[in-house]
Amino acid sequence: MLNKFRRTVFILSTLLFTTLATTIPITSSAQENQTLRIAIKQETGNLDLLQNVSALSTYSLIFEPLIRYGTDGQLQPALATSWITSDDGLTLSFKLRKNVTFSDGSPFDAQTAKWNLERWMGKPEFSWIGISDAMKSIETNGQYDLVINLSKPVPAALYELTIIRPVRFLSPKAVDARGNQTAPIGTGPWVVTENNNSRTLLTRNKNYWGNTPSFANMELKVVPDELARSNGLRSGDLDIIGGDWASPLSPRRARSMQRDPNVAVVAEPGTTSILLTYSPKSPLLQDKSVREAIDLSLERNAIVAIIYEGYATATANLFPKVIPYSGNRNPLPQRDIQAARTKLEQAGWTRSGNSWIKDGKALELELMVSEEALPGSRRLAEMIQGQLSETGIKVRVSSVDNATIHDRRPVFQYDLTFMATYGAPYDPHGTLANLLLSDVDSGPDGKIYMSPELDPVVRAALNAQGAAREEKMQAIYNWLSENMAVSPLVSPKRLWAHNRRVGSFTLPATDYQMLGSDVTLSD
Amino acid sequence: MLNKHSLSTLATWPWAVLTPVLLFVAIAIFALWISPYDPTTQNYSAVLQGSSWEHWLGTDYLGRDLLSRIITGAQVSLVAMSIVLIAALIIGVTIGSFAGYVGGKTELVLISAIDIILSLPSLVVALAFIGIIGPGYWSMIAALTMAWWANYARMSRAVVTSELHQPYIEAARVMGASHLHIFVRHILPHVLALVVVYASADAGALVLAIATLSFLGLGVEPPTPEWGQMLVDGMNYLEQYPRLVVLPGLALTLVVSSFNLLGEHFALKKVPRGLTQRHLKILKRLRAQEEARISELEASA
Repeated sequence: MLNKFRRTVFILSTLLFTTLATTIPITSSAQENQTLRIAIKQETGNLDLLQNVSALSTYSLIFEPLIRYGTDGQLQPALATSWITSDDGLTLSFKLRKNVTFSDGSPFDAQTAKWNLERWMGKPEFSWIGISDAMKSIETNGQYDLVINLSKPVPAALYELTIIRPVRFLSPKAVDARGNQTAPIGTGPWVVTENNNSRTLLTRNKNYWGNTPSFANMELKVVPDELARSNGLRSGDLDIIGGDWASPLSPRRARSMQRDPNVAVVAEPGTTSILLTYSPKSPLLQDKSVREAIDLSLERNAIVAIIYEGYATATANLFPKVIPYSGNRNPLPQRDIQAARTKLEQAGWTRSGNSWIKDGKALELELMVSEEALPGSRRLAEMIQGQLSETGIKVRVSSVDNATIHDRRPVFQYDLTFMATYGAPYDPHGTLANLLLSDVDSGPDGKIYMSPELDPVVRAALNAQGAAREEKMQAIYNWLSENMAVSPLVSPKRLWAHNRRVGSFTLPATDYQMLGSDVTLSD
Repeated sequence: MLNKHSLSTLATWPWAVLTPVLLFVAIAIFALWISPYDPTTQNYSAVLQGSSWEHWLGTDYLGRDLLSRIITGAQVSLVAMSIVLIAALIIGVTIGSFAGYVGGKTELVLISAIDIILSLPSLVVALAFIGIIGPGYWSMIAALTMAWWANYARMSRAVVTSELHQPYIEAARVMGASHLHIFVRHILPHVLALVVVYASADAGALVLAIATLSFLGLGVEPPTPEWGQMLVDGMNYLEQYPRLVVLPGLALTLVVSSFNLLGEHFALKKVPRGLTQRHLKILKRLRAQEEARISELEASA
């Protein structure tokens, strides 16, 4: 009898244990599945809006701008529901969104917006932003009307208000007595709950005014190595990788992942261009014929196929078509070695064996690259070296580290190098002002080209408004083409990948952002 | 003319460890003639091809013949390694011998400098040097020479110090031989005998160091094929085309192992080895046989 009782107790307890053991993981799995895991290449940082130290893409989850940069450069309402620019371009009036609160509960209104804008507008360290440089005063009119008065028109002002840092809005409670940011508190859909050097944990903002995300939590995992990121995606440790700023995915890796049925690679037209730039201080490249000969020797489609694995478009334009005011599309130059040699001969260069000589100097150029600054650039340089050698132009590939390229670029200590345009939402005004105007300090970025003749053309375009703006912008592109000041090579596609756990996936409008609006988890 | 004696000497050479090294040297010397293609010629219509009759080891991402690149890579490694070794030997032997021969405070200063350099890992010294003078082929040669000479200097100084106290040096001095004569005729051969043996062991490490610097983008510049550079370029294609990494890696491993085995062989010849149980048994057996033979002879007498 006792034995029977013991047996029954044993069977019942085993059944109970088995039931618990199978239900507990399901419950915890269900909770865990509500967390979206995205790879980031470096730690997030303190997310201070006024410091240039934190990872750009994470800001967009927490902080919001007045105006959002939408697909194809369309301006969309965010914290401002509407805006008007005066005819003279000197006044910008905004109607602010009502019933918006920061994640700490404090309200967002005109006074808060004014306080935020005054933290950076008119400050010398933010003079690189046109609207900051031209700011005269900021006024509030009631609780939800905001007016920015400018001392001179800034045609790109509205686009400048869509960028990530420093223009987004911080809770007035998240600063100390000296005005320094103490916590990342914004109006965006996510709130930071944990932030360290290995991950950033975010949870949904309960006070968010817009559509709340369909999943409860988000984990941004720091994975610096690209191969480790793709392996993490395949093994299920990560749900999403990609984006130039979040966790770059190389074309080669994307191509190899496309064969994996559990991974979806998403490629969309990019907003940047990769350029082969000529140093304006290189004695050999002062000769326009040499620049033309180089351009004629380039085989852009082969670069697209081999280096970018088809995830790029060959281009002869400074900006891709998706950038506003990017100008008429230039026809893609066809590779013509004979024409390139003829150009050199006409310019007085004479053939000497497998090289060219003029005034006792051989046509030998240094192509400076940094794999850190532009991944894949060493292989691209090797390819271009091979293409130019067929014309007889000798190229010495000089591979340097990130610090060296940043030191040498501003002083033009190279003959040839690769540069990239900034991309949306900074373009076209960002690249044109910083990388073409000789009197603007572009820091380590250097210049695409620099000429006293080019400066007034660029300045006229940047100051032009209305219909004239398009015409003046085209004048810059024409000047660059006529003078063969730069050789645009390709416009790379934006590459992201996700696993099957992610139900729907849309790319953010720019790679400076982390996530599109319609991302869902399938379980 | 090979006589019977020289043939018997050849038979005693360590062919098992020497053959791979000689093969590497032969491939490097005749690279220009045995490479089926120009290793730098790009062919976009034949990228990432597998093994075929046209390309035995296939092609890389720019359509360049992989076999030709590995063969030419051997030449690049051999030439760079030889230059570094010769330069490091000349500098090391000169400084070390001078320190040992002169002695006194000069020796103290020089040996302290040598010790400082030896206290740092060779590759760290080379990287620091490249950081100062900038990357490039000749920078790499100079940097590796700077990192490698100290070892030979220390060895040379030790040999010179011990040889100086030998009676035959005293005798040469008494007979009025000059310092140069004593050094060149009586001491240098001893120094070289030791240092060259160590250099043969170092050759493998140097080939690896050259590949490491090129892997980091601090050594040989494109389009010159170099095994370390081929490795780093092939890393992007590791998942789909592992041979781009495996083949140069294999070539590197074989060469480094061969040089290491050769160096070890020479080093072991210089060191007296302890007797094993097997050797002892053989010796005992031989002695017993000898004793038996002697006793037999005595008995017959």
